Amino acid sequence: MKGKSGSRSEHQSPLRRIGMGILYFVLVIVALVQLYPLVWLFQLSLKTNQEVFGMSPFALPKSPRWENYINAWFDGGINKYFLNSVWYTVVAVLLTLILASFVTFALTRMEWKLKGVVLALFMIAYMIPLHSTLIPLFNIYNKINLIDNPVSIILSYTTFNLPITIMILLGFYQSLPREIEEAAVIDGCSIHKIFFRITLPMTVPILSTTAIINMIYNWNEFVFVNTFISSEKWKTITVGVNNFVGQYLTDWGAIGATLVISILPILIVYLFLSDRIIEGLVAGSVKG
Amino acid sequence: MKKKALTLLVLFTLMIGFALSGCSSSSESASGDKSGDGKIHLKFMHDWPKGSSTAYYNLVEEIIKDYEAKNPNVVIDVEVLNPDQYRDKLKVLAASNELPDVGLTWSNGFAEPYATGGQFAPLDDIIEKEFKDQFVPGTAESYSFNGKFYALPMEMNITYIFYNKEIFKKYGLQEPKNFEDLKNIGKTLAKNGIIPATVGSKDGWPASMWFMYLADRIGGPTILTDVIHGKVKMSDPAIVKAAKEIQNLVDMGFFVKGNTAFSNDDAKGYFLNEKAAMFLTATWELPNFTTSPDVPKEFKEKVGYFKFPLYEGGKGTDVNSYVGGPGLGAFVAENSKHKEQAKDFAAFLVKEWGKRSVEGAGILPATKVNTEGLDVPEMYLDVLNDINNATNITTWFDTQASPNVSELHHDLMTALFGKQVTPEEFAKQHDEALAEEAKK
Amino acid sequence: MKNVMSNKTAIVLYVLPSLLLVLFLIYIPIVLTGYYGLMDWSGVGQMKFIGLENYKKLIHDKLFWESTWHSVLLAIFSVLSLVGYLIVSLVLASKIKGANLFRKIYIIPMLMSSVAIAQLWIKIFDPMNGLINSLLSMFGIKDTPLWLADPDMALYAIFVPIVWQYAGFYIIIIYAALINVPQELIEAARIDGANAFQIAYKIKVPLISGVLKVLTILAVVGSLKYFDLIYVMTGGGPGHATEVIASYMYKEAFGKFNFGYGSAIGFGLLIISMGTTWMIQKMLRTNKE
Repeated sequence: MKGKSGSRSEHQSPLRRIGMGILYFVLVIVALVQLYPLVWLFQLSLKTNQEVFGMSPFALPKSPRWENYINAWFDGGINKYFLNSVWYTVVAVLLTLILASFVTFALTRMEWKLKGVVLALFMIAYMIPLHSTLIPLFNIYNKINLIDNPVSIILSYTTFNLPITIMILLGFYQSLPREIEEAAVIDGCSIHKIFFRITLPMTVPILSTTAIINMIYNWNEFVFVNTFISSEKWKTITVGVNNFVGQYLTDWGAIGATLVISILPILIVYLFLSDRIIEGLVAGSVKG
Repeated sequence: MKKKALTLLVLFTLMIGFALSGCSSSSESASGDKSGDGKIHLKFMHDWPKGSSTAYYNLVEEIIKDYEAKNPNVVIDVEVLNPDQYRDKLKVLAASNELPDVGLTWSNGFAEPYATGGQFAPLDDIIEKEFKDQFVPGTAESYSFNGKFYALPMEMNITYIFYNKEIFKKYGLQEPKNFEDLKNIGKTLAKNGIIPATVGSKDGWPASMWFMYLADRIGGPTILTDVIHGKVKMSDPAIVKAAKEIQNLVDMGFFVKGNTAFSNDDAKGYFLNEKAAMFLTATWELPNFTTSPDVPKEFKEKVGYFKFPLYEGGKGTDVNSYVGGPGLGAFVAENSKHKEQAKDFAAFLVKEWGKRSVEGAGILPATKVNTEGLDVPEMYLDVLNDINNATNITTWFDTQASPNVSELHHDLMTALFGKQVTPEEFAKQHDEALAEEAKK
Repeated sequence: MKNVMSNKTAIVLYVLPSLLLVLFLIYIPIVLTGYYGLMDWSGVGQMKFIGLENYKKLIHDKLFWESTWHSVLLAIFSVLSLVGYLIVSLVLASKIKGANLFRKIYIIPMLMSSVAIAQLWIKIFDPMNGLINSLLSMFGIKDTPLWLADPDMALYAIFVPIVWQYAGFYIIIIYAALINVPQELIEAARIDGANAFQIAYKIKVPLISGVLKVLTILAVVGSLKYFDLIYVMTGGGPGHATEVIASYMYKEAFGKFNFGYGSAIGFGLLIISMGTTWMIQKMLRTNKE
């Protein structure tokens, strides 16, 4: 069935055109649906609490409340937390990517006995629920004096993202052609040279992908920050959101404003990294 | 390509170096205990973030500043979290014996594990010395276990049915004299397409207020407290009847549709937007109905309140019996290195709080308030009067119960409003949990 | 060749740092979780050793199995939705005009924090003036569903935002895998007269099967331990209708002060995840051979 209609459409351009028309129609609709949350968030950020509740949630605010942004910036403390979020995220993402690449390289390219065990250890590490780890982790950090120290956050982000990053990389390393590496071995390249000069550049597309994923996780994380950090000066932007949640009142407009401000940086970085996914491919195939 | 790899390598070594240096430097500074300014540092944690609880936050800041001015050798290090996160963090800290020197705790069931687990310091001496006859009767007792007091109460709230006077007027409705009236009001409003009452029963506790009042009015003011103490069973006919009345109200469309998916905030929206005529809630909402600049004046003028009406033939015959209770109180950590200083600060905080909170922030404190010459909206004066004339204030059932029973109670309240359980089943599950708890 | 690729120092250098991090920061908590499971402990104060009591209770706990069932259902839905993501990715990775832009847009919701997503979907599902019910009543439907407030519907309703939230995650990975497929193979097939469907089904999909296998495991394990949106949107309610293992564990450990029992649930979840992963690996292996 599929084959027939497919091969016919190769020749009958009107049918093909209709097919493409439908395809684009669907693609555009989905794109609108996916873009809408951003629009909604922006609307939310300009509303009063009264407009947020009870009124149609998708109506425009009567008069936009730009004060929400001022509240978010000062009361929410974004001005204080922003840089922390940036450097925790950047450092943790880089650490995770490089460490995970090391491990994946060793697991897929090198020859040693305990491979299976080590892989299993990383996979099982992905399975533990976050809330089971909080009390033991607090104890560990407390013993080594890392409570209220950003190192605890970076270590947690790196470690807890390692298993998933390794698993994603694994699928790619397995499908990467090995010929170049094998050639390099014959040429007498050292193992580090092979890893850094050949394998790592070939994985730029997937590294960009995992970088995006890691970045989003770290940027939006708040459980670790709230648990291990107590000083204002070390908190992150997600704390700003939570500053507007109270027992008897939650200021949704200000939360919306905080979320808009906090999504902008990762949106920009995302768009940048997103292009690397393809660029890397070009670089890789040139090599090949 | 080479360049990229090299940059990565350099970055990586830098990161590792940074992480390691971070480790070593931090352990040095931490071993020296405090930042070395020779002052006493007291850690204080509260759950009133600046963004959502501005009035609370500012008042606390003000009091801390005054305390530091009076005690130049003391620095208060404040950490603020939102209530959910605060609860979780307190738990993690307690598990590692690392509670802040001073913090806030909810009463009864929440405080009990901390108090009996040796985490909170007994505060009998301070209460005796500084707060004799200062607290609203019953509030300090909410933090007392095995004959000792473990926190200084800071809040006192009671609950009313707040209503929209304009809607009532439009349909010729009067404040109800008894429960039958209330039902009839509901019928009239529902017929005219107005939501009679809004309730956020997803959260459980707002729904529980309806249940607690009905139990009070049908079974008498002490019945729920008796349940907690094992003197009466939840399957007592009066309580089952209260649960049945709830479902009768649900059936007649008394509550906003879909309320089992609404949080208290969601539900409140319907009242603030005048889609729902009534909202049973506590006096912590008073600022929203009087002073809050975020709520339009026209709306605030429409808000009235009445006491939960009596139930014909019920044992609760006094309309001045309320459901309510203390909210947060200040505790001092048993492990605090500066316990005496911490106690001193806690006492100062609660005392000043009592003096300033009504006028300064529109918050009702648990310390007695002198209403004379108080410059506040009339609704506050009425409420303060009501508290003084209260014959009974039953502390929220979920607060009195152990954490175990309390969580179950919330789930069951949602289920009761969603008609997922029958009143009998509702009572039975409570009784089973209470019996299990009694065994411990 | 063997010499270089089995260089012991290099292996240790590459694997050990990560392994140490994971052992210290994840395995110690795992072991401690199992150990706390043997205790009667509120999380505050004294621990009391009670042996396997908590685990015995767990096996007979109806609520635990109910939550497990909900988590398993979520896992099944997530795996099924992978097929959809695969199709979307195949379209995006083919050489149609504007594919690059569509891809970028499709992944945007993933950037949003759970706080925003939860609030958005609460509004979409709101029975009174939510998006869906407003649309339904526009078409004259009077008896609109209650969605999250309806115990029979809530679980399936809440799957929608969860699955949607992760769409970007899977699409971006599958996409990256697809564009890695060597162009020569596709060209060769095209010259042989294969159409787009055949190329997709016979060449592209088998070539990225390693990635798909990993994603299946990630989807299953991720679903089994899923917590975020459920906790914010329904809190496991109404009446446990949307309770999942992680929310149940959280409630026991942090809500009810049963840290011992909560730990036992956490450990139970770990074992279920391990068992399921093992099964999936077996199944996927035999399927291939």
